[in-house]
Amino acid sequence: MTKVAIRGIAQRKLRAFVTVLAILLGVAFIAGSYVLTDTINRSFDDLFDEAYQGTDVAISSSTTGQSDGGDLPPFSERYVNVVRRVPGVNKAAGGIFSLGRFVDAQGEPLSNSFAPEFVSSVAPEPFETLTYTEGRPPRTAQEASIDESTADREDLGIGDTLRIAGQAGVKPYRIVGLQRLGNTSSGGSSTAQLTLPEAQAITDKRGELDGISVQAAPGVSPRVLRQRIDRVLPPRLVVETGTEAAARQAQDIKDDLSFFRVVLLVFGGVALLVGSFLIFNIFSITVAQRIREFGMLRTLGASRRQILGGTVLEALALGLLGAGLGVPAGIGFASALNAIFKSFGIDLPNTGTVIESRTIIVALVVGIFVTLASALVPAVRATRVSPMAALREAELPESRTRGRIFTAFAVLLFAIGIGMTCLGLFGGTDDANAAAGLVGGGAVATLFGVSMFSPRLVRPLASVCGWPLEKLRGLTGRLARENTVRKPGRTAVTAGALMIGLAVVVFVTTFAAGISASVGNAIDRNFQGDLVLQNTDGFSTISPGAGREAARTPGVQTVSSLSFAGGEVGAKDVRVSAVDPRSVADVLSLDWEQGSPETLSSLRNDQTVIDDAWAKNNDIDVGDRIPVRTPLERLVPYTVVGTVKDNADLLGNLVVTEEQLRREFGVRSPSLTFVKLEPGANADAVQDRIKEAVKQRYGTVDTLNQQELKDNQEEQINQLVAFFYVLLALAIVISLLGIVTTLALSIHERTRELGLLRAVGMSRRQVRTLVRYESVITALIGAILGTVLGVIFAALVSRPLADEGFELAYPVGTLIVLLLLAALAGVLAAIWPARRAAKLDVLEALAYE
Amino acid sequence: MDQIVTAHDLRRRFGEGDAAVDALDGVTVSFERGRFSAIMGPSGSGKSTLMHILAGLDRPTSGTVELDGVDITALDDGDLTKLRRDKLGFIFQFFNLIPVLTAEENIVLPLSIAGRKPDEEWVEQLIETVGLGDRRTHRPSELSGGQQQRVAVARALVSRPAVVFADEPTGNLDSTSSGEVLHLLRRSVDEFGQSVVMVTHDPEAASYADRLLILRDGQVVHDCSAGSAEEVIELMKSVA
Ligand SMILES: Nc1ncnc2c1ncn2[C@@H]1O[C@H](COP(=O)(O)OP(=O)(O)OP(=O)(O)O)[C@@H](O)[C@H]1O
Ligand SMILES: [Mg+2]
Repeated sequence: MTKVAIRGIAQRKLRAFVTVLAILLGVAFIAGSYVLTDTINRSFDDLFDEAYQGTDVAISSSTTGQSDGGDLPPFSERYVNVVRRVPGVNKAAGGIFSLGRFVDAQGEPLSNSFAPEFVSSVAPEPFETLTYTEGRPPRTAQEASIDESTADREDLGIGDTLRIAGQAGVKPYRIVGLQRLGNTSSGGSSTAQLTLPEAQAITDKRGELDGISVQAAPGVSPRVLRQRIDRVLPPRLVVETGTEAAARQAQDIKDDLSFFRVVLLVFGGVALLVGSFLIFNIFSITVAQRIREFGMLRTLGASRRQILGGTVLEALALGLLGAGLGVPAGIGFASALNAIFKSFGIDLPNTGTVIESRTIIVALVVGIFVTLASALVPAVRATRVSPMAALREAELPESRTRGRIFTAFAVLLFAIGIGMTCLGLFGGTDDANAAAGLVGGGAVATLFGVSMFSPRLVRPLASVCGWPLEKLRGLTGRLARENTVRKPGRTAVTAGALMIGLAVVVFVTTFAAGISASVGNAIDRNFQGDLVLQNTDGFSTISPGAGREAARTPGVQTVSSLSFAGGEVGAKDVRVSAVDPRSVADVLSLDWEQGSPETLSSLRNDQTVIDDAWAKNNDIDVGDRIPVRTPLERLVPYTVVGTVKDNADLLGNLVVTEEQLRREFGVRSPSLTFVKLEPGANADAVQDRIKEAVKQRYGTVDTLNQQELKDNQEEQINQLVAFFYVLLALAIVISLLGIVTTLALSIHERTRELGLLRAVGMSRRQVRTLVRYESVITALIGAILGTVLGVIFAALVSRPLADEGFELAYPVGTLIVLLLLAALAGVLAAIWPARRAAKLDVLEALAYE
Repeated sequence: MDQIVTAHDLRRRFGEGDAAVDALDGVTVSFERGRFSAIMGPSGSGKSTLMHILAGLDRPTSGTVELDGVDITALDDGDLTKLRRDKLGFIFQFFNLIPVLTAEENIVLPLSIAGRKPDEEWVEQLIETVGLGDRRTHRPSELSGGQQQRVAVARALVSRPAVVFADEPTGNLDSTSSGEVLHLLRRSVDEFGQSVVMVTHDPEAASYADRLLILRDGQVVHDCSAGSAEEVIELMKSVA
């Protein structure tokens, strides 16, 4: 009897441990997401506060149409004198703060991280925000200083050479100082400081500034001074107090981050959902195993409520423990996430971990709720059995998961889920958040519907997955398959957990494959040139000089660029692109709805060609005049002369002339420069020559041919996919934990059977194989369901994008690899239970009750 | 006569110190090939322990067991597994069958596990003998207790083992079903020359055997040829 009791405790220990672990991991993800994003937010607050210390009033360019970041157009430095003449101004100084890139002697970026690198100018007191920890600020055009963390990372020191690639080209500087921003540990970004004239030169902003800092005279309040200055400056310049500027810039970043937080929370939610499946299964199994005990208690006079209460209390305790441990684990998880970002080249600032009370409350509530909800159903089911039946049966009858009503409910839930998804996708809701909510909620409902229906799918799917094993391995394969269909409900839930993770993986994979294929097709269709010059980061602008360099290269026929800017039409942001009408026909071929290539070739400065979809959505016709507010705060009207189907979303909403973009939008650098070769030119040789010429002088410019461009795009997409994979890894791990636990508990139930098999000649190895195959079949069932759901959802979600040229591609090869990986995961999950099963002593197993 | 199992001075101690129990206290015994032997004795006398040790399911604290010419007390798990495949058949009191397999699959289970092709004729003959021709595709849950035990007998015989060990094979059955199972064991000895060692509490069952061994407190207290059920009852009264 003691033996039985000890075994019982040991077994419940496993259950308790796994339940707590599942909740802990999910909660840690959620808490970690909050901690990380709160920490980053606070860090940016600190960072900007630091940066605007000593600045009473800050002047910068208007951000009209610039919601997606990037450099703002600079303004003339003569405004410094205008500002200085304003009464109440004690001191005013102009400065440069522009994106740049640190490169090596070959012109390759020093670090391949996404973290931005800046070029800033030395500011006079009291505006200087950098603290020198070593050396001094640069004084000549050949000197620079660099931030400590970059110096550390790249192993640079005083006296070393730093090559900076700016819009004007690459130039080497001698490092004379190391600095950092206040006490901030790492801004996540790197900053090189140059003298003001040199900063202007390297960024191609001679005679221009990015900002002006103003110190008020004693007794003049920043607010009053701001108003006075605002009156004398043109509208394209924004005047703010230092505090306002810091708050606004921090807020901009927070807004960007809030999306990022949602993404993280979604993945945390997936992990918790998977965990809830696991807990549901664990409680189902153990409650079923204790049914006799419950029956006995009932006959002794315990009420149904008391028994239910006992189980619920247990769940509550486990949930509390898991969630409670999950919060501190979340802090660790936040650093793990941070490390992941770092490995993907996203360096985030951290000025001290921030733990809001909201984080703790949400984590606890969610964790406890999930545990209770998952444990309640099995507990209720167990107490429904009449005491006598419980004593007699000794085992809970397989749940009513195959009852008609249950099935109908599952189908209904599935239908509702798909319905909600479709409503979100095709319902025409303007509110993107509401639509996303509908799609997400629909996805969850669909997953639950499928999970509830899946006990019916277990048998056929097990037959499919088990067939090869049975053919290959005979009896062990046969028994493994039979074992998985013994308790279809249990197998379904175990597989369901994996299904969720895999559905998301497959969705992401399929969707990404679609994007890659669409981009590839668009490049094929639109790209007439032979080569493309673009920034190595794939999105920043390149120096106009690179195109001029290419044009000089022998073998080149035409060079034509595409530039981008933001603007506003009505109150809405629009994206504007610009081409050179004279040469564009050589390098771009567009899908004309109204108009022809000649329309673009003869585009005048007051004319525009617009995106067909955008035109339709906004009721704009050819001949209409659209007033566009530019970043220079001018309202410029353009007459629509044609519409194109912009499948690749290459051109934004409007296309204007290059000259217009320079004059009215303040954008001087192209994002893409296309090169067309002379007929008969040796493409590879010319490409090499351009590369040579461009890389050395400008750095950070890639010269790609069509195939390389496609590969490059695909690589960027794949990097994002890889990032999602990493975030999903936890959910997958939890679902594997589910397989491990279910196997262990099932094996425990079948101890006698294993003893018998051993007695009639089964070897340890065969027992291991048996368990492994059972695991593999279960994993494959989950993988197949997940793959099907993932593909369905990718197909659904991409429907509305089809108008915009999205083509769904089925990455069959990848999907097969995923299935194989799932099978492999099954093998891994089986290691421990299989070893346990094989270790059973034959005699003890036979005697086991 | 030719001995199929020989045990020499077997001792088996469970527990340590004051709580130690000598389940077997110096048992020397041998069983002849092609005969049906029964082991009886009061509860706790060490019958099951003896059988487990003879079958290599348990190890003696001291003493040796030779099975079909092999000293099995020194074998490792792999060799014991081979031994069970090649030389042993088992019939337990209950839970003899794998619930997910059909009657016929359960019968050929030892061969399937060993990856051997069943001898069709022999399997047919066995199924006929145990009278389950019309039940071969049924699962254990669809069979009566007696039918299940008959399947177990056929399974024990299918690999033509050197010896079949049965631990209270009729302990869970009514007298009719018991009779069928015992009759089968008897026939296996008479017709196929099978060696069978059976532990039982039932004098009726013992009367099917050729020889009767009586244990008490871990020692063999009587060894003779088995007579009728009445004789066995008398004998038990006198020795146990
Ligand atoms: N695993 C064990 N641990 C401790 N003691 C044991 C163990 N197995 C058997 N014993 C003890 O050994 C003695 C002999 O047990 P055994 O099971 O061989 O008796 P038996 O003759 O088969 O009895 P029954 O007729 O009740 O089946 C008993 O006293 C028993 O309590
Ligand atoms: Mg016994």
